[in-house]
Amino acid sequence: MIDWFRQIQWEHLFDPELAWNSLPLLLQGLQITLLIALSSMAFSLVLGLFLAVGRMSKRWYFYLPARMYISFMRGTPLLVFLFILYYGIPVLGIQFNSAIVAAIVGISMNFAAYSAEVIRSAIMSVPRGQWESAASLQMTYWQTLRRIVIPQATRIALPPTTNIFLDIVKGTSLASVITVHELLYSARLVAGQTFDSMTMYITAALIYWGVCIVIGYFQERLEVRYNRYLTKR
Amino acid sequence: MITVEKLKKVYDDTTVLKSIDFTVKKGEVVCLVGPSGSGKTTLLRCLNLLEVPEEGTVTIGKKTVDFGGKKLSKKDTNELRAYSGMVFQGFHLFPHKTVIENIIEAPLVVQGRDKKELVAEGEELLQKVGMLEHKDKYPDALSGGQQQRAAIARALMMKPEVMLFDEPTSALDPQTVGEVLRVIEDLAKEGQTMVIVTHEMNFARRVSNQVLFMDGGYIVEKGEPEDVLVSPKEKRTREFLQLIKE
Ligand SMILES: Nc1ncnc2c1ncn2[C@@H]1O[C@H](COP(=O)(O)OP(=O)(O)OP(=O)(O)O)[C@@H](O)[C@H]1O
Ligand SMILES: [Mg+2]
Repeated sequence: MIDWFRQIQWEHLFDPELAWNSLPLLLQGLQITLLIALSSMAFSLVLGLFLAVGRMSKRWYFYLPARMYISFMRGTPLLVFLFILYYGIPVLGIQFNSAIVAAIVGISMNFAAYSAEVIRSAIMSVPRGQWESAASLQMTYWQTLRRIVIPQATRIALPPTTNIFLDIVKGTSLASVITVHELLYSARLVAGQTFDSMTMYITAALIYWGVCIVIGYFQERLEVRYNRYLTKR
Repeated sequence: MITVEKLKKVYDDTTVLKSIDFTVKKGEVVCLVGPSGSGKTTLLRCLNLLEVPEEGTVTIGKKTVDFGGKKLSKKDTNELRAYSGMVFQGFHLFPHKTVIENIIEAPLVVQGRDKKELVAEGEELLQKVGMLEHKDKYPDALSGGQQQRAAIARALMMKPEVMLFDEPTSALDPQTVGEVLRVIEDLAKEGQTMVIVTHEMNFARRVSNQVLFMDGGYIVEKGEPEDVLVSPKEKRTREFLQLIKE
């Protein structure tokens, strides 16, 4: 055991100097990662909300397409969908002017399906009496949704939505496969030149982790805020 | 103020309201009594259009809706609803809003009125129902009686011609029933038109001008409270009153 520990060549596992020197390049990649991640979070939430509302509709021409969409996106790998967008769609004559846009569109559309399910179950967990009392006060469907139901559903949806956000951050690494110069792509670039994959991937992993820690921090802050009206217990 | 004619409501395969007729005059307080499952809640919800009846007509204020033929339009729904305010057995205050925010919410969003003005008006109303000191609390921090008084104020903020109460004290601890009934009695003295579903027979006798006794989807007997609740003509009314006395 001790011999095994001694014979590890630590400098091959992690070279702090290389990590430090490649940091500027990795942080450039991180900017792209964050750009994709943050816009995908926003778009997937908005699209997810509309999908959720469509899925809950009593009209078949709303709920059927919504169900189909959600089923397809949940049932296909994100990477495959990115390939279809990036390599397949140009055949139809539509060209994304950058791989970044393709990545944002793909990731947003894919995660919207998960958002939709989280939002739907959160909305459904708001008691029916809330809808009824709002209706008896002449509030419309959308007014009730916006002012009464969504604020309450947000509290319930916060932890699972955070999970989706974390998955989005990590999912952006798939964009490297369609030539987006994000964090993982940058790390692989350096790894290819220096033949020190370990150092580069460990550094990249630590940076992803850091981003996720920040997101977790925001979740905790928001949870405190949304729980403030619950005084008992 | 209210005229209901031949009202019928069907759930799946059971006809809950078979044929309901009654009228309520302006300033009148009507208590709706009857055994569990007789359709009292359903009737109230039909007046507020939380349920849509299958047949019959409802007139409240200047608005008449005929449920016979085509699908009920949003416009008709809104116009009829504007005449009534509803108070639920389970309060249904908005938990993420304070008491004052709860009561100004609907006039703020629906009528687009000025917030400052509404807060002033809301505080006056809260004073009336004895809730002013709690105006900045969240519903979760209030007792049932306090929540129900806030819910009454919330409905009143829309200045409805008619107030509908569905067993407003049934979910309350016995010691807080009185404070809610007192608020309703004050409203009665001010001439507020009200329809109240209740099991509090003494309260019904004190406050109402008319009592409707419902059973099996019909109004079996109606009249002055002393007649219906003290010396009823119908056998079923007598049986019911006997039952709740025990
Ligand atoms: N949404 C619904 N779907 C099917 N049946 C219903 C529904 N709501 C009520 N009912 C039925 O309609 C009947 C009348 O119910 P309702 O709630 O109006 O009675 P109630 O007089 O208010 O009774 P209680 O005194 O217990 O409140 C009951 O038999 C009930 O089971
Ligand atoms: Mg009832």
